[in-house]
Amino acid sequence: MPSAAVKEFLQPSSPQEVVELLVKYRERALVVGGGTFLHGIIARGLLGQMDVLIDLQKVGLSYVKYEHDTLCIGATTTFAELAASERVQNSPELGAVLDALCYPPAQIRNMATVAGCVASATPLFDLPVALMALDGAVRAAGPKGSREIGLHKFYLDYFEHVLERTELITEILVLRQPSRSASAFLKLETNANDLALLNVAVRITVDKKGTCRDARVVVGGGIGKVPVRAVSCEDVLKGQYPTAALLKESGNVVAFDIHPVSDYRTSAKYRSTVAKVFVRRALLRALDRLGMQLDEPS
Amino acid sequence: MKRIINLDINGQAHEVAVGPHYTLLQVLRDELGLLGTKKGCDTGGCGCCTVLVDGKAMYSCMIFAMATQDRKITTVEGLADNAVLDPVQQAFIEAGAVQCGYCTCGMIMTTKAYLSSVGSHVPDDLEARRAIAGNLCRCTGYQKIVDAIRLAASRRIVAGSEKG
Repeated sequence: MPSAAVKEFLQPSSPQEVVELLVKYRERALVVGGGTFLHGIIARGLLGQMDVLIDLQKVGLSYVKYEHDTLCIGATTTFAELAASERVQNSPELGAVLDALCYPPAQIRNMATVAGCVASATPLFDLPVALMALDGAVRAAGPKGSREIGLHKFYLDYFEHVLERTELITEILVLRQPSRSASAFLKLETNANDLALLNVAVRITVDKKGTCRDARVVVGGGIGKVPVRAVSCEDVLKGQYPTAALLKESGNVVAFDIHPVSDYRTSAKYRSTVAKVFVRRALLRALDRLGMQLDEPS
Repeated sequence: MKRIINLDINGQAHEVAVGPHYTLLQVLRDELGLLGTKKGCDTGGCGCCTVLVDGKAMYSCMIFAMATQDRKITTVEGLADNAVLDPVQQAFIEAGAVQCGYCTCGMIMTTKAYLSSVGSHVPDDLEARRAIAGNLCRCTGYQKIVDAIRLAASRRIVAGSEKG
């Protein structure tokens, strides 16, 4: 149950108003999207003194649209709304996003918002990892105007990102990928409402002959303070034709890029083992979306 | 600081004084005495507080009451039409999908929202299990709950239309 110290629940009607409120109240105010992360934090006694809650329901940021070649996802778009959008449903390149949105239960999908998930800055969440595989970015409004920050530079530590207290994420941006691109996401969890023990998102772009021209491999969930780009896995793929053996090799080198932790949920060794397998399987799933089916190596 | 807000719960208008930090669950149970909605983990992990907000299943322990003004809230008390139970409630009784009963109201609300979202489709076992992935039955009596979901879904087709 949230802290009784909160004095005001405000419902501004535009992003500009939110920024004005953030300037006024600074660290005494907290922005609320769907509230799913916030309530979890409050229930564990981890929330500091907050005087004001700023609810985003009425700011008009629930939409999914293309602006030229950029997919713009409004900050308060829920998981369910994004998953149901035609663009996400029908683009192999956005497959990782669709995969990531399918894991949480219906209640969370109906409540949690895209920017809330990104802004929570927990390395155990799924959607940020999927968006990072697509080189996604954050568009934030602040007192000095709007700016864009790539997700690969967005996260600093557990619950910490580069935004100022006075800035509000207004949109998540994903550039349209080159043609013949596909992505996929996989999560290891112990139950349907669990944070990731490990998660992996990949994106692969191939040329007309099927040779890999570009790739992204991102790993999150218990492998560090922020999700990590596994460049070694990417390098194995680039310039090569994807075969079962190549995918296995790409998975095997993930150990060079990640440093899994042991905690009460599972061991570092298990996370390392699963990471190798998940990179390979996520690549298989992405290639399948491009109509390229490989046999799994035994 | 408390404020008077208007909530539309089960088609009835309620005026209630709430603090900025009150959850919808807290208001339903403690302020309005609607005890069908259960408090379990209070952190969005168990599902027994599930209600419908604008027809969508949500955890009432994770929504601020003030954020639910102007929205249509349905709790388990709002399903039956006078003495006639909702088909989902009836199916849960007939399938024996109740052990201790604590998760039942949440299961029913999640099922209600799920069946409304899939048209005339009758889910198979796996789909039914996925539909209630956000609800825990600590008695582990899932099979009969799955049976009840499928029973309610199949009846709806026989009946030709779904109520509510």
